[in-house]
Amino acid sequence: MVGGGLGGLWATLRIAEAGFPVALFSLFPVKRSHSACAQGGINAVLDVKGQRDSIWQHIVDTIKGGDYLAEQPPIKSMCEDAPGLIRTYDRMGVTFSRTPEGVMDQRLFGGVKNRRTAFAGATTGQQLLYGVDEQVRMYEDQGKVEKFEWWEFTSLVLDDNGACRGITAMNLETMKVKAFRADAVILATGGLGLVYGRSTMSTNSTGAAASRAYQQGARFANGEFVQFHPTAMPGHDKNRLMSEACRGEGGRVWVPKQIGDTRDPLSIPEDERFYFLEEWYPAYGNTVPRDVASKAIYKVVRHMGMGLGGEDVVYLDLSHHPREFLETRLGGILEMYETFKGEDPYTKPMKIYPAVHYSMGGLLVDYEKDETTGGMKTISPKNHATTIPGLWACGECDSGYHGANRLGANSLLSASYSGRVAGDAVAAYLKGVKETCESTPESAYEQELNRQRELNDSITRGDGSENPFTLHAELGDLMRSHVFVERNNAGLDKALEGIKTLKDRFSSVSLDDCGDWTNQSLSWARQIHDMIVLAEVIAKGARLRDECRGSHYKPEFELKIPEGKYPGDPEWDDYVAKWKANNEKWMKTTVATYTDNGPEIEFTPFDVSVLPPDKPRDYR
Amino acid sequence: MSSEIKFKIKRQDGPNNSPYWEEFAMPYAPSHNVVSALMYLREHPINTRGERVRPVVWDCNCMEEVCGACTMLINGVPKQSCAALVDDLAQPIVLEPLTKFPVVRDLQVDRSRMFDALRMTKAWVPIDGTYDIHVHAPIIDPKVQQERYEFSRCMTCGCCMEACPQYHPDSAFVGPAPLGQVYLHNAHPTGRFFRDDRLHSIMGEGGLTDCGNAQNCVQVCPKNIPLTTAIGGLGRQTTMQMFKDIFMK
Amino acid sequence: MADSLNAHFLTRKIHSLLGLVPVGAFLVFHLWENSQARFGAEHFNEHVVEGIAVALNYKVIVELTLACAILAHGIYGLVIWWQSKPNITQYHYGANYRYYLQRVTSLTTFAFIIWHVYHTRIMVELDEEVARDLFTHMQRLYADPWIIVLYVIGIVGATFHLANGLWLAGITWGVTTHPRAQRISAAACGAVFLLLTTIGFHSIYGFKYPYEGEDQPGHADVIGDPTASDLDQHRST
Repeated sequence: MVGGGLGGLWATLRIAEAGFPVALFSLFPVKRSHSACAQGGINAVLDVKGQRDSIWQHIVDTIKGGDYLAEQPPIKSMCEDAPGLIRTYDRMGVTFSRTPEGVMDQRLFGGVKNRRTAFAGATTGQQLLYGVDEQVRMYEDQGKVEKFEWWEFTSLVLDDNGACRGITAMNLETMKVKAFRADAVILATGGLGLVYGRSTMSTNSTGAAASRAYQQGARFANGEFVQFHPTAMPGHDKNRLMSEACRGEGGRVWVPKQIGDTRDPLSIPEDERFYFLEEWYPAYGNTVPRDVASKAIYKVVRHMGMGLGGEDVVYLDLSHHPREFLETRLGGILEMYETFKGEDPYTKPMKIYPAVHYSMGGLLVDYEKDETTGGMKTISPKNHATTIPGLWACGECDSGYHGANRLGANSLLSASYSGRVAGDAVAAYLKGVKETCESTPESAYEQELNRQRELNDSITRGDGSENPFTLHAELGDLMRSHVFVERNNAGLDKALEGIKTLKDRFSSVSLDDCGDWTNQSLSWARQIHDMIVLAEVIAKGARLRDECRGSHYKPEFELKIPEGKYPGDPEWDDYVAKWKANNEKWMKTTVATYTDNGPEIEFTPFDVSVLPPDKPRDYR
Repeated sequence: MSSEIKFKIKRQDGPNNSPYWEEFAMPYAPSHNVVSALMYLREHPINTRGERVRPVVWDCNCMEEVCGACTMLINGVPKQSCAALVDDLAQPIVLEPLTKFPVVRDLQVDRSRMFDALRMTKAWVPIDGTYDIHVHAPIIDPKVQQERYEFSRCMTCGCCMEACPQYHPDSAFVGPAPLGQVYLHNAHPTGRFFRDDRLHSIMGEGGLTDCGNAQNCVQVCPKNIPLTTAIGGLGRQTTMQMFKDIFMK
Repeated sequence: MADSLNAHFLTRKIHSLLGLVPVGAFLVFHLWENSQARFGAEHFNEHVVEGIAVALNYKVIVELTLACAILAHGIYGLVIWWQSKPNITQYHYGANYRYYLQRVTSLTTFAFIIWHVYHTRIMVELDEEVARDLFTHMQRLYADPWIIVLYVIGIVGATFHLANGLWLAGITWGVTTHPRAQRISAAACGAVFLLLTTIGFHSIYGFKYPYEGEDQPGHADVIGDPTASDLDQHRST
């Protein structure tokens, strides 16, 4: 088991429960995983709010939220199993927020009509993570799980048939690489936000592990689909999420009408402010959906050059509300702004900009369909299997469930659920396994170890002029310039070129630290290389996909609903025909295969039997 | 406003090396925190004497004060370096590794003893299995839930251990954080079924009785977790447990 | 599976109990007893010292028990002291200072008690003069201002250690679990500290400036005290 966030810990639990020994590898103590950062909640239809919420509605919301770009049977099963997952978490002692009568409370979250999101204060992810962390610790105490914390997954060990027979991993203290035999390997290594330099993700969410599996032959799917959160506070180190609730509670997004206006924001009179969301979207105003807000902010800053002080920021203003109101509604969130920015959001407008928040794409995973239910088979070794035999993937590093865009509060659900399913799949596989890893010759491990040692040596011995940290910063700048909220083919071509240059430059990387004890520079340099590889997958997928879908926005290929036309009008019918033709062409999974010359990409169809797209979305 | 950010960092090349101080300076920019400054320094690892040195090693992950990784002594105070704004700190900013844990390298320490303590104190709610049994946990008083929530935000960062005069490498004391977790799980409606085990685990050497009630833990906790309330509550629980063990065996 | 009835846990609990019941209670009694010095040598020697000796027919047993309790509490206290790494220079919080003072006063008090027992109780056995007139012996001691300083340190240390020990016992035995309860008990223990210290100072003052030779205070002043009236009866028989 590689990775100890929600997905990894769930899979660990299931395999240990099935009676198989698990070795759990993590870059750091698993309790510090990025799952802890999720604040909002986890979706599950419990229907405790008298709204007659239904699982079917959850399925529909998830599929439509993802703009129909996901295998539908697994979504169906995930939504059906969500209430059971929540009940299990509840039994683990997770401190879900309660109603006054002591039952689980549910809140409203973006993109849906019903109160379907279970939450634990403002730290739901942390609470869920700790819940499973404690269960894993119990199994560890019983000797069923062995943890390898401070170990970095470096590669898979493949046998002559290309099947995964174990891993190599580097001890982050001694920097020694060791090979470990395994009958099955699961990657649950999280998101890839750091490919964008700064994102809302943790500093270890580099995607390097998934990239390594991809470079060894696993397919990578839908890389170009990256979710942007419109309101994050930019920082030198990362961009910190400011919850959607800020806009929900009346936050107004604006810039000064005069470009280069350097006055104190409070001294700028009302009529000299440009409330662009309110002006452009009078019906929704500041509460437009995430992607619309991101695009608008991007437009104001990048196309109109109206970013504050010429920088990539706009105001998110709550200062017109009384302090007491804000304290009760947004206390925790505003406190975070104050802590990390050192400015008082109660009296001064906050400065925000869209940031990379989640990667819908990831390692391509399979599933076995249950023809009787139309969902995914509950237990099958095929579920969450990657294209490499013996290797599974779950959590954010896989490509399932979210299609072209993720619904708010569905990430904790998919991480937990996919971990559980992957664990069950592996347990089922192990029950039937005939040829164990013991039969794999030692030479396979030796060979892989030597490859890794050579790689480390070549990096530590490198005496070129490139600094790995500088390379990362440049990679981030490149991706945020050309593969961001809004994309165009000319920009993407530039990005692909830039990535190629970075790849070349990486070969002359040299480290300030060439030691063999806790050498973070070495570990980082290796990850930079793997991030560049993933960046190419993302950029190339984006370049080839000539349409707008979910988070992938290419204005030149936008299909616009004809203004003032409704079903019955010939213009509307014409639009629907175009929409169908577009789906015919692009409603396919982007599948990347690694080659030394960059990714080879093909587009493959998938199962939409649960909710076939019949008519375009119309939010008017 | 100074045009530079100055650092004085206590470095140590390995667990068995002796520590030494090194000073760094970097160009000032607003809104830096200690981690973002360290990130700058690892890209430009040049000390104030102009020597290019090995980048400072430290531990961080979430950068939002929820993972607990980046805890260190900043101007003598244990806290998360991601939440320590440079603009709020007196310069030179003095960075030291936590003193109660073995140093791995520079500012990175080995806090595995804290996780071992969570294991030792059985800080979990045993369940029959991770499958759905079609019932929720029993109804919980929202007030109890709220109190439990306070404790369940403990991120095992080590601030309370750092400030505790009873917790150090030569003492067996488990420290405040794991005691808070015992209290948390004893308060759960089904977790309390196993409170005897948990209480017994903290009634031996290094357990609750080794607390000296200096109460620094509650003062330095970055999450304001009421650790001393847990310690007081466990005082009552262990007293009752003692009578139970004497008279009701 | 660890059991609660293990040596470590029980030792700690007994340490706490010893500090409270025999040692703490004796300290209160002892401070009261000596505060009677204010009423002069005769009253002190005959009513208090003699009286107690007679009233307590099992004086040897009581004294031995007390000595053992003090030694046990004190020696194990040294073990606890040994395990602490005070950090008051870094963490300036009230409870942290009290934590430190509890350990400092354990040392001062333990040392003081040994010296004090030698000068008062053991000297009684060694020196008939002292045995006959403990009051005068004390007065002679107090003639040296350094001795008074020592006694002030000894008394303040002991009363602080007891009062703070009461506060600690409230927490460790689970009586005062919440911060508010602990604040209230801190105030109450502070009052106990002041009261006991006052009584203690009163005894020093009493030995220095007794009522002797002037207006002898009537027995009425102490008649309400059961010990005193018992003594009266004892004498008349």
